[in-house]
Amino acid sequence: MSPTAGLGLKPQHYDDALAADAEGLWFEVHPENYMAAGGPRLRRLEAIRETRPLSLHGVGLSLAADADPDLGHLLALKALADRFEPFVMSEHLAWSAWRGVHQPDLLPFPRTRAALDRIAANIGRTQDVLGRTILVENPSLYLPLTGHELDETDFLVALTRRTGCGLLVDVNNVFVSASNLGYAAETYLDALPAEAIGEIHLAGHGVDANEARSGSSLLIDTHGAPVAEPVWALYRRLIDRVGPRPTLIERDDNIPAFDVLMAERDRAHGLLQRTLMGTGACASPQSRPEPVGDDARG
Amino acid sequence: MTPVGELGTFQDAFAAALAERTAAPIAGWLPEGETDPAGLAVYRNTIAKGCIDALAANFPTVASLVGDDWFGAAAALFARGNPPKSAALLAYGAGFPDWLARFPPADDLPYLPAMARMDGMWTTALFAPEGRPLAAEAFALEPQALAAARPRLHPSLAFAWFDSGLPGLWLAAREPQPGEMELAEDPQGVLIVRPHEAVTARLLDRAGHAFLAAAETDATLGEAITAAAEADPAADLPALFAALIADGVFVGLDPGDPA
Repeated sequence: MSPTAGLGLKPQHYDDALAADAEGLWFEVHPENYMAAGGPRLRRLEAIRETRPLSLHGVGLSLAADADPDLGHLLALKALADRFEPFVMSEHLAWSAWRGVHQPDLLPFPRTRAALDRIAANIGRTQDVLGRTILVENPSLYLPLTGHELDETDFLVALTRRTGCGLLVDVNNVFVSASNLGYAAETYLDALPAEAIGEIHLAGHGVDANEARSGSSLLIDTHGAPVAEPVWALYRRLIDRVGPRPTLIERDDNIPAFDVLMAERDRAHGLLQRTLMGTGACASPQSRPEPVGDDARG
Repeated sequence: MTPVGELGTFQDAFAAALAERTAAPIAGWLPEGETDPAGLAVYRNTIAKGCIDALAANFPTVASLVGDDWFGAAAALFARGNPPKSAALLAYGAGFPDWLARFPPADDLPYLPAMARMDGMWTTALFAPEGRPLAAEAFALEPQALAAARPRLHPSLAFAWFDSGLPGLWLAAREPQPGEMELAEDPQGVLIVRPHEAVTARLLDRAGHAFLAAAETDATLGEAITAAAEADPAADLPALFAALIADGVFVGLDPGDPA
């Protein structure tokens, strides 16, 4: 199956999702929202899974903590994976759990060699328990931390080499982080090896609401707006270089009607089809053909 | 304290920076002169929003009664003292009803903790294990066999008794278009269960509550009916029992010991 475009599934869209007839459409959910003993939410997901491929995109494993992944959480993930047979599972290069507290956010850390050892071990442990490889997503960054020993791209590539994990490239996160920390999004994306990329995320961002007060010019990865045009441009540049990859439209706030999200999804789908057909008319100069259909990780 | 490496040392500092609302604990990881980075507030705000959204989802009646601003402020304060312990936020806020009862700004909303408690019961029922309710035919037994049988209750069942009409107030507030709401003086109970796809909730009278309280402690049907009759000698016991069957409260019936 050639890579197609999917949509983040929201509870208010279950009926629309069941009725949707778009070719190649798949859905992605946060497994944490389905870690329940029973109930209608699980049943609805089961009904959707009967007709559509599913991706489980975790936000709570806390891979970048200086601690083993929580075994209870890992087993809950495994139970959902066994039940829903997702075509891909992913997590973030970030931490959220520490000393018994779970912060519902994706927090940063200094990318040291010691951190690389710890996170590689955590990914290895996760993949051992799940019995499969996962994709790891680049985070959005808001703080100019010092003390990094590796660039984020080098860090991610090292993780793929050490653990066999793949990468989930969130193009919006690249755009947001590059803007906030002052580097070139294109350079970042170009440093990611095509063969490691198993999925792409597209989402919208906003401007820091505290800007007026604090003088902050930060962009925030809100998932609360349509995908911005510069992010679409980066996406085209990326798939022109690496070939089509399963691509997700994410929306978690200010959620519009299903059809509005499907229009964005269809745009990504069209770009994937165009890339697949090798008619990338707007390919960037440095783009080079890559073997297509390299979605074995999915 | 567990020994930690340099990553853990950073996490301790970052957690302190979040909690203490100052960048001082992470100063060693910031560029020189960067004492109040705007990014730290972004993380703090995102965490607060995650907690507030989860509490609003789990306590929707409370949120609708007090409005977004009041709820957001209260939920943010609760979350600072009671952060989530799990990445799965479906059960977050178990301590919220009791916390509201001790929250001074809620003093003139004395009904609020009970609203939160019933919201919590409803949310728990929503994610409880599946159970298949027994049909009425399952109870077509000889009277003696029926009285000796022990009912098994639906895993999603929750019920409670209140000293006033708080359950009626809660049910009225959950209506899509809540009308005039009044707090009745008379004590009331509430029954919440998810027999099939949807969670249902209704008022429970004194006899019904006594029946379920007995059944929950592994009583026989005969003992539970007796408890109901003692709680309210005027109760219509056959109607009470039929209503509970129709609610889908029972998922099993274990034969009693032969008398």
